[in-house]
Amino acid sequence: MQALTETNKVAKPSTLILGIGNYLMGDEGIGVHVANVMSQMDLPGNVFVLDGGTGGFHLLEYFEEFEHVILIDATLDEQEPGSIRTIKPRYAKDFPAAMSTHDIGLKDLVSALQLLNKMPIIDLVVVSIASIQQQGIELTKDVESQIPSVIASVLRLLQFNKGEKQLESTYVF
Amino acid sequence: MSKRIVVDPITRIEGHLRVEADIENGKIKDAYSSGTMVRLLEEILKGRDPKDAWAFVGRVCGVCTSIHSLTSVRCVEDALDIVVPPNAELVRNIMFCAQYIHDHVVHFYHLHAMDWVDVVNALKADSKKTSELAQSISKWPKSSVGYFSDIQTRVKKFVESGQLGIFANAYWGHPAYKLPAEVNLIGLAHYLEALEWQKEIVKVHAIFGGKNPHPNYLVGGMACAIGIDDVSGINAERLAYVGQLLKDGKDFVEQVYIPDLMAVASFYKDWGAIGSGLGNYLVYGDLPTNGYRDLSSYKFPAGAILNKDITKVYEVDLKKEDEVQEFITHSWYEYKEGKDKGLHPWKGESKINYTGPKPPFEHLDTTKEYSYLKTPRWKGHAMEVGPLARVLVGYARGREDFKAVVDKALKDLNIPITALFSTLGRTAARGLESTLVAEWGIEFYNQLLANIKNGDTRMAEMSKFDPATWPKQAMGVGHTEAPRGALAHWINIEDKKIANYQLVVPTTWNASPRDHKGQMSAYEAALIDTPVAIENQPLEILRTIHSFDPCMACSVHLYDEEGKTISRVSVLGD
Repeated sequence: MQALTETNKVAKPSTLILGIGNYLMGDEGIGVHVANVMSQMDLPGNVFVLDGGTGGFHLLEYFEEFEHVILIDATLDEQEPGSIRTIKPRYAKDFPAAMSTHDIGLKDLVSALQLLNKMPIIDLVVVSIASIQQQGIELTKDVESQIPSVIASVLRLLQFNKGEKQLESTYVF
Repeated sequence: MSKRIVVDPITRIEGHLRVEADIENGKIKDAYSSGTMVRLLEEILKGRDPKDAWAFVGRVCGVCTSIHSLTSVRCVEDALDIVVPPNAELVRNIMFCAQYIHDHVVHFYHLHAMDWVDVVNALKADSKKTSELAQSISKWPKSSVGYFSDIQTRVKKFVESGQLGIFANAYWGHPAYKLPAEVNLIGLAHYLEALEWQKEIVKVHAIFGGKNPHPNYLVGGMACAIGIDDVSGINAERLAYVGQLLKDGKDFVEQVYIPDLMAVASFYKDWGAIGSGLGNYLVYGDLPTNGYRDLSSYKFPAGAILNKDITKVYEVDLKKEDEVQEFITHSWYEYKEGKDKGLHPWKGESKINYTGPKPPFEHLDTTKEYSYLKTPRWKGHAMEVGPLARVLVGYARGREDFKAVVDKALKDLNIPITALFSTLGRTAARGLESTLVAEWGIEFYNQLLANIKNGDTRMAEMSKFDPATWPKQAMGVGHTEAPRGALAHWINIEDKKIANYQLVVPTTWNASPRDHKGQMSAYEAALIDTPVAIENQPLEILRTIHSFDPCMACSVHLYDEEGKTISRVSVLGD
């Protein structure tokens, strides 16, 4: 994947599809798996896909750079493994209570964006997983089989926000 | 009878660390540090191509990704006897320096500052006085009265909306906060400045490593092609951009980080006598100027100091079986030859045997196993690793660059060198080495430009890339200095595949449980005698633990009970 730097940026892409997760911890890495699949897809030119790893503040640049960010992540919410939910978080507290091992960094990042008055429109697609006790890079069947549905959710969000970019971008204090 | 305080988790980022401390008469009498999460990367790596290991280890943690990848390619290069071209070394060094100043600034402002700076109190500051103070300690341009009053307005709205979020894990109004409101406001303003700045410096990694997070590394060199007129490679424009980022980084360290650090430290000099701990320091060294194998050429010299005696520095050999060893007496692991034997990492084993209580639990049985961290020892000694160790070894080796920054700081704060063996010393050392590293980054950059100008654009040594050229068996060790301390990976290659791979990471050195002889590791030792004014608000514990810059994700090789992600402080017993 091409790096997003000042020097190789041609036009400002408007939507970032950002997969979050730890690739080494089984289902916890679902966001990264989805990003890897989507980076091979033929998407509109203003859409950029990024494997965000477990990064927190490192990702600030990307949140500031895009008008719209679609986050894909795993969650431990006691729903059936593979359940998909879409959430439009306004504050850090709107993120699911138990969002995997990297939630602290991500929530702090969202609070930081508010404080800097630079919140993009954020859509969150969360996939329920049974546990992150697993080691290894493979996904369980329940979660792996949902990848096409997760992608379909992301594509719907892309469609929905088209032409409604400023919908909720006026997050003020 | 003493009371036991549990702080869990103690990190603000990545991973899980739990501290249990026994308090008597307002001071910590005994302490236990536990890693409650395990990743077992070693098992994931077995049987894979050694050339791919860097990509897996890079995933161990979102915070220090590139440093594990660097260590990994070095251990494979060591095993296969590959010497990388000078440019690859320079690019690695530049990425190292960029990561350091990023990591140290983020640690100071976004993880550690809240232990010293009272954000809520900053709202009471007089913006005019704050502006005068800021201008008296730094030439940083953003220091007007309007700038500071604007920051106050923004944060006030945030606090009033009930969305404290980012600042929620703190004990505002605690009596151990000693800064005047104006210094608190400067700290708060620069918290926001540092947020904006940090996203810039990481672009160095995106440029040389192709992406960030998780930049690309390569066994044999670096994967970035240099071509001054090349559109897709490292061209003149991108090189110039790196130069600008490094210069901006140096300015931020010199004009924001260091003045703030010194201003904050001047109100907390009592912390120069708290959190001393082991007094043993270990550094593997890094930043070669004449090739990775020439240890004497390192900007960060290697060495060990024992019992705070900086008149003597001991040599360290990571390949000798009796130097670095890992013990599991109090860890949830088992070794074939029993619990009390120490293993050199080349013979290391990573078999988990969890014997702790079923979560959620109140406290751990610290007389038995109580951590997923193994306990590393150097020649049997418990050692502290990190910025303080690096600064002390540089100083003890008589290096003028280290002496200059250390002596100036001691003079400015009017404290003796012995005050460095402390919580304050650890936090100060991180800033002091940042000034050195910011400078060195620019030196490496200029050297790289000079090489390119002279026609040397070699970036990788690929003659041994094909596994057919490898011996049947090979062993290697790769080392570095991660921002949080000495880091090494040990690899055994058999039949072109990874037979064994062991990581001994800085937080394992510092945060591990007691060893077979009952000796404490650095966190536990540093907490002894730390005062705790309010038991259910153990700010002082956070200060000392955060002074080590804990990052648990890599030091513990699963997860505790589901959903336990909210900071918990409980006071047990009477």
